[in-house]
Formats: sequence, structure tokens, C-alpha cells
Amino acid sequence: MPAEKVAAKTPRASAPHARGLHRFRRASQLTFLAAFFVLLTLTVWPLGSVALGVFLGADPLIALNSAVSGVWLWPGWLALAMLALPLVAGRAFCGYVCPTGAIIETTTPSAGPGRLSQPVRARLRSLPAFVLLASAGLLLFASGAYLFFDPLAILTRTATTLLYPLLDRLARLLGDVAYLAAPLRPGVDTVTGVLTGRIVFAKPLAYAFQLGVLAVFAGMLGVSWLEPRMWCRHLCPLGSLLGFVGRFGLVGRVVDADTCISCAKCAKVCPMDAVSPDFHATDTSRCQACYACADVCPVDAIGLGARPRAWVFSPTRRQALATGGLAALAGFFAFTGIGRRKRNARLIRPPGGREERDLLALCTRCGQCMKVCPTNVLQPAVSAAGLEGLFTPQMDYLIGSCEWSCNECGKVCPTGAIARLTLPAKRTTVIGRAYIDRNRCIPWADSKTCLVCQELCPVPDKAIVITTAEVVAPGGKRLTLGRPEVIAEKCIGCGVCENACPVANRAAIEVYATARS
Amino acid sequence: MVFGNNPDVGALSLRPCSLTQGVNVDRREFCRFLGVCGMVACTGSLSGCARALEWSEAQHARIVTREFGAGPAAVGATGSPDATAGADATASATASTTPAPPAFPDLAVTTGDDPAANTRLAVEMLGGMGRFVKRGQRVVIKPNILTAREPKFGVTTNPAAVAAVVSMCWDAGARSVTVFDRPTAPARQAYTVSGIQDAVRKAGGDTKILSDRDFERIAIPKGRVLTSWPLLVDVFDADVVINMPCAKTHGLAGLTLSMKNLMGVMGGTRGIIHQEFTQKIVDVNSLIKPHLTVLDAYRILFRNGPTGGGMQDVRMGRTCVAGTSQVSVDAYGASLFGMPPSALEYVVSAAEQGLGVADLSRLRIEKRSA
Repeated sequence: MPAEKVAAKTPRASAPHARGLHRFRRASQLTFLAAFFVLLTLTVWPLGSVALGVFLGADPLIALNSAVSGVWLWPGWLALAMLALPLVAGRAFCGYVCPTGAIIETTTPSAGPGRLSQPVRARLRSLPAFVLLASAGLLLFASGAYLFFDPLAILTRTATTLLYPLLDRLARLLGDVAYLAAPLRPGVDTVTGVLTGRIVFAKPLAYAFQLGVLAVFAGMLGVSWLEPRMWCRHLCPLGSLLGFVGRFGLVGRVVDADTCISCAKCAKVCPMDAVSPDFHATDTSRCQACYACADVCPVDAIGLGARPRAWVFSPTRRQALATGGLAALAGFFAFTGIGRRKRNARLIRPPGGREERDLLALCTRCGQCMKVCPTNVLQPAVSAAGLEGLFTPQMDYLIGSCEWSCNECGKVCPTGAIARLTLPAKRTTVIGRAYIDRNRCIPWADSKTCLVCQELCPVPDKAIVITTAEVVAPGGKRLTLGRPEVIAEKCIGCGVCENACPVANRAAIEVYATARS
Repeated sequence: MVFGNNPDVGALSLRPCSLTQGVNVDRREFCRFLGVCGMVACTGSLSGCARALEWSEAQHARIVTREFGAGPAAVGATGSPDATAGADATASATASTTPAPPAFPDLAVTTGDDPAANTRLAVEMLGGMGRFVKRGQRVVIKPNILTAREPKFGVTTNPAAVAAVVSMCWDAGARSVTVFDRPTAPARQAYTVSGIQDAVRKAGGDTKILSDRDFERIAIPKGRVLTSWPLLVDVFDADVVINMPCAKTHGLAGLTLSMKNLMGVMGGTRGIIHQEFTQKIVDVNSLIKPHLTVLDAYRILFRNGPTGGGMQDVRMGRTCVAGTSQVSVDAYGASLFGMPPSALEYVVSAAEQGLGVADLSRLRIEKRSA
């Protein structure tokens, strides 16, 4: 048999043999997955650096989006390489690098046709083109809202808002349990000391929109049961972009038509649904160059070669125009919408956060800034920034406050949506202004002493002063009392006062967004 | 074939072994049984986890009674004539008028350009660390690490002074020396930026980052406003407690010195403490009486305290004050700011309650320069 096969090979199919690549692919995937989580775990004060967010920075979709908005960081060069890769290796990024893809592939059905009928699957195959068009429409009008669905942003966001809070809680619980045994206490203290500020925080980590994040992530995995790797095959905007380049692939899967016995094994194992119905052509916009097909081919007809026969869906002109038009309209209405005209007074962006318009265009909604934030003050915007601004960073001063000694969020932002500020610059950057609610403030309303806001104001020159006055308490009693007041021009809006205010649930001193000069 | 797919058989014949021999279970039924078991187990373990979380959050709600250290008695046994009120209620200011043979001063005040040398000399003048720390004892040190500020701002206790005390404790034969505070900034930032973490580690001590599990709701029998509060258990577990405040102004208390520094061993909601503030400080001090108080006034934050942050608010005090009574140390500390002790409300009421002597003329104060 073997001798027969060798004889049957044409010169083209004798190109490098792909057998055994599968194992290397798994190793590569797991390495990148591990690297991703190591870097993300290291994303804590005081290590912040774009290098920690290199996955996001090297994400072609994100880098392209930033470049359109005029931001170019060094991982962009990696992104360019990733973007060019499909010309020679198909969507190898999806099969070898993408940590989200690795999770989808290892946890859900990962190959074969799935449960959907042929017509439905045929329609699904046309989706990436529309995903791309829709993204382009939003991109055109400077809205980064589509980055909400970037796979690396999704993974970063999921880990930040779900995994790390879970680890925080678990570490606490284990510590509490171990503390019951007195001899273990010194050990627990040591471990707590090491983990504090890294895994365990002053208060257990909590984020807004956690259930929404869970739903998106679960949905991403769950659609695999309709069709294996459905997310990667048809929905992922990054995959769609890489697939678009892959259409022009110069090197890829080639099949020796003479040898092929049409056994359909390649189509069955293909994780990306990239084998044409006649098995001889390849959907180069989807092929991830894993060569699982070559591994199962009983006659060894599949190999790597130049100018692969492409079998790619192209939308009709009418379809393209309709989708493109719709996308442009979406972008147009995002651009001209009410969200760009009025601003939620309580929507306070982190220091260094760009002007609202630029921030909405640049922000990847990845939540890396929230990961690095040591006080948990950075929270995802759920409704404050509108639908377009879903999951963009926002300060929630009832959860934390902007720490004087920290400027990490700008350091880790993969797109510069939060500009990198030096500590001295960050300390003078005004992000909001505190107002005292005299109807609720303890000295003002109840004529009792309190000055927590003044005491903790980190501005060296103190933006809050205590003015002593003779007052008549509600009961009619006369007393001398110090009452806090904000000096507007000194306040930077860090929210320490609001966070520390003892008035429950809604502070009596609140920070509001200020107009930018 | 073990799992027969033949519909005629319709039953699962398990691999023969001692457990399953002779048991003939319908496969579907068996799977259903396993499924139900799994669901029950999952539900049980999940609800168990939920209960465990609840428990770990609620476990510090009950009020316990703890007596502050056997330590003060030990100090008394050395025959010190200090003005410390001691552990028991009977102690009063009269103690200072009956000096015993090894007459140590009530307060040791040193000046000099090296904060570590100042501290060492001040403790030497009080009789050396051996008077407070016996071989094999566990020592805890409570500096002021209010927030993440560099030492030059005078907001936190001088790291060199803390390190000096740590090494003196080792020299006295301590079993362990632990340094902690409950900063308002994230602990890791505060410990690092204040320089205290590095200094203590270099001196061989441990820094401990506090978490909720270290606090228990402890009864304060002599408290007038605070009758119980979540307090740091470590302070009660330790043999020797050393309070190491720094000298700062404070909007509400006037000055924050040693008595106010004990707020750092209070858990719970920080903001609430600030109502009826002075009495709360006194109440905590009525229960917790550190064996040694070392006031670091190497730098003095004379304006915009307690969080400061500007160099224009700091002046060099070049001073260290050590004593065994927090009330006396604070009374003297006020003079560093040019204030009489009576200007500090909490010092006055503490003296009234017999927690110590605030009248500087009744104290033996020894001054030296290092």
C-alpha cells in the first residue's frame, strides 16, 4: 500500500507533510493560554505596563481600530504580523494562538457538522462577511462598540469580572477556615500578605454587569452545541477580519484530486467547517491551518501548497450594500446620537481617560484597567454611557476611590483610551468635582461632628476645608461646629471623600463629572 | 462488550466484581440515578459553599470579652514608677508620686539628626527594651501607616525609627516582632510607599497585612460611647504592644498622636468612628494600653494633617518621645506643636477618667540629644 501511495502523489501534494501538526497545535494553544493568564494575573499594582496587555495590543482588530483613531502602540507591529499571517497560514491565529479559541475548543464540541440543517449552515457561512461589514460601519463613525465582541476582550473581561473575584472570595474563605486552627494562623498571615493586592483585596472584588459578562461568555461557548466552534467559525469579528485577509491566501491546504477518494473524513474532522462539499477546495477565510484533515486522510491526498483552491462565500452586491448601509446607519446614529450630546453627570472616567468621543472609539471594553485597579473603583459602565459605552470604564466611588499612589490604568490600556500619565500628572488631572449635599451631610444636616472627607482628602493643599460656625441644632441647641466645604479649584475628583463618607448607601459628598476645558 | 447496545438485552451487565456481582440494573435507570445523585451533590455542595461564605462574613458579629495583655503587670513588676495607669481600674495618677528604686523617667525626650538613634536613646532612657520585652515574648508594633505617602511627607511613622524598635526587640530576645496598621489606602501600597515594609523586613521583623478575620467584636467594659467594637485580636494575643505614632495635626482631634493612633486597631466602618470622636478614642484607650509608646516626631506635619502630602506642611522636629503612658506622651506631644495638653480634648478626658497623667509638671521628663 505505502509504495502505491507514494507513486500516486503528484508533485504539488508532495509539499511539506502536515501530519503530526495537531499535537504541536495543542501545545501552542495551551502555551498562549497560559501566557495570557500569567500576564493577566501579573496585571496588578505596581507592575502595570502595556507589555502585560500584549495580547490585546497585538490583536489586529483592536490595533486596526486604534490606528484608525490615530493611536499606535508598539504591539501594533505584532498585530500587523498577525494580520498578514493569513496570507501564508490561513487563520493560524485562531488555531494556534487565540486563548479564547483554545478555551472554546477544549471545553465544547470542536469538530464536525453539528445539529443544524444544511441550509442553515450555508447561511451561517455567510455571517463573517456581515460581521465585518457591521464592524466597519461602526468603525467608520468612530464607535468602538463592536470591540465588545472581540474574543480577547471578551476573555480579559470575563477573567477580570468573574475569575479574579471568584479567586479573591475563595482565598478569603480558605483563609477564614484555616484560621480556625490556631497553628495555621502564621502561615495564613504570610500567604495573605503575599496575596494581598494581587489576588485578595481590601474588600472582596465585585463588578457591575457580572451576570451580563457571564451570559456573553456562556453564549460564546454554548453556541458550540448548535455547531461546533460556531463562535470561531461564524461570529468572531477578529476571525472575520483574519478570514478576510485569508481570502487572498497564497499558501494553504491543497488536495490532490487524483488521489482523493471522497471519503469525507476531512470534512468531518475540520474544526472550522472549511472543507468544500467536493473536499477539493478550502474555505481560505476560515481554514486555521491545523491540518487535522491531513491527519485523517486515508490516502494522504492533503498537503500544504501554493495557491490553494478557494471556496469562499462572497456576499452578493445587494447583500453587501444592504449590510454595509445598515452598518453605516448604525455608526451614523451612534455618532449623532444623544449620547454624544449630553453626558451623564455621574459618568466619571479614570484619570487620563480621553475625551468621551475618543474614548468610545478607542476603548476595547476589555476591562484590563479594572483588573489592575487596586481599589476596585474602576467599574464597567452599564447604563451610564449608553448602549454604545457598555463596559467602558467608569469610576464608582461607593466601591472604591482613585488611589493617590497609583496610575496603573493608563499604563495597561492596550489602546490608549486611557492615556498614560505620570504620577505627578495624574495627581493634578481633574476628573470630577465633589459637591457636598448639605441636606444629608452629618454636620450640615444633623449638627454632629464629622470630617472624614476633609481628613482623607489626598490633595496636599486639601480641597476640603472645615469652617467652624455657631449653629443652631435642629432641637434649638446652640453649638460651635466644624462643617466641611469643597474648594472647587483644588478638587481633582478622586472620590476619596465620597468613598469614605459615613452616610450610608449614597454619600453626602458626591463627585460629578466636570466640563472639560 | 460491557455496555450492550442490543435492545434485546436492554440491561446493563456490569463488569463482574465483588460489588456488582449479581446486580442487574437497567442502564437508563442507572444513568438517571447517577444524574439525580450528581444534582443532589452539586446542590448540596453549592449551598454548602454559600453557607460557608455567609459564615465567614458573619463570624465576627458576636461580642467577646478579651482582657488586654498580662504585659502591663509584667512591666509593673520591674518596679517602674511610670505614670501608666496599668491594666486594672485601681491605677491612678498617684502611682507617679511614689518612685521605686530603678527610677526611670516618665517620658524620655531625645533630639538629633538620626531618627533611629533618637529612638534608640529614648528607649534606653526608659530602661532599655529589656524592661518591656522579655525573652521569648511576642511583640507587635503599631506604627502610623495611614496612607501611601513617602516618609518625607511626615504622614507615616519614620521607617528608620520603626526598624530601630524592631531590632531592639530582637536584641531583647523577642520570639516574634510583627508590624501592622490598617491603612485607608490599599494596604500593599501603603506598606510599600511608606517605606515601612522594606525597613521592617531588613530589620528582620514581619509586616502583617490585616484582614477582616483579624478583628473580633470585643467588649469595652469602661467604654462610655463605645461599649464594643471590632478590634484587632493580635493586640490582645501579643505579649507586648508597642505604639509608634508620628506627630501630625488632625482636623477633628486637633493632633493625632499615640491615643488617636490606636484607631488603627479598630475595624468596622471607619467613617462611623468619627462621630463623638474624642470619647471613642478615650474608650478604646481605656481597654488597650500599649506597654511602650514611642512618638516619632522626626518630621512634624504641622498643617493639613493627617494626610498631608505637601512638603510645605512638614517641618523637621528631630525629636522622639518615649513613655509608658499614652496620655503623658500625647500631653508632651502637644507641646511640640506649641499647644498646651488641655488643647487636646481626648487627653483631657482621658486624664479625667484616670487613664494617665496629662499635667506635664507632675511628670518626670528627661531630655537628651542623641
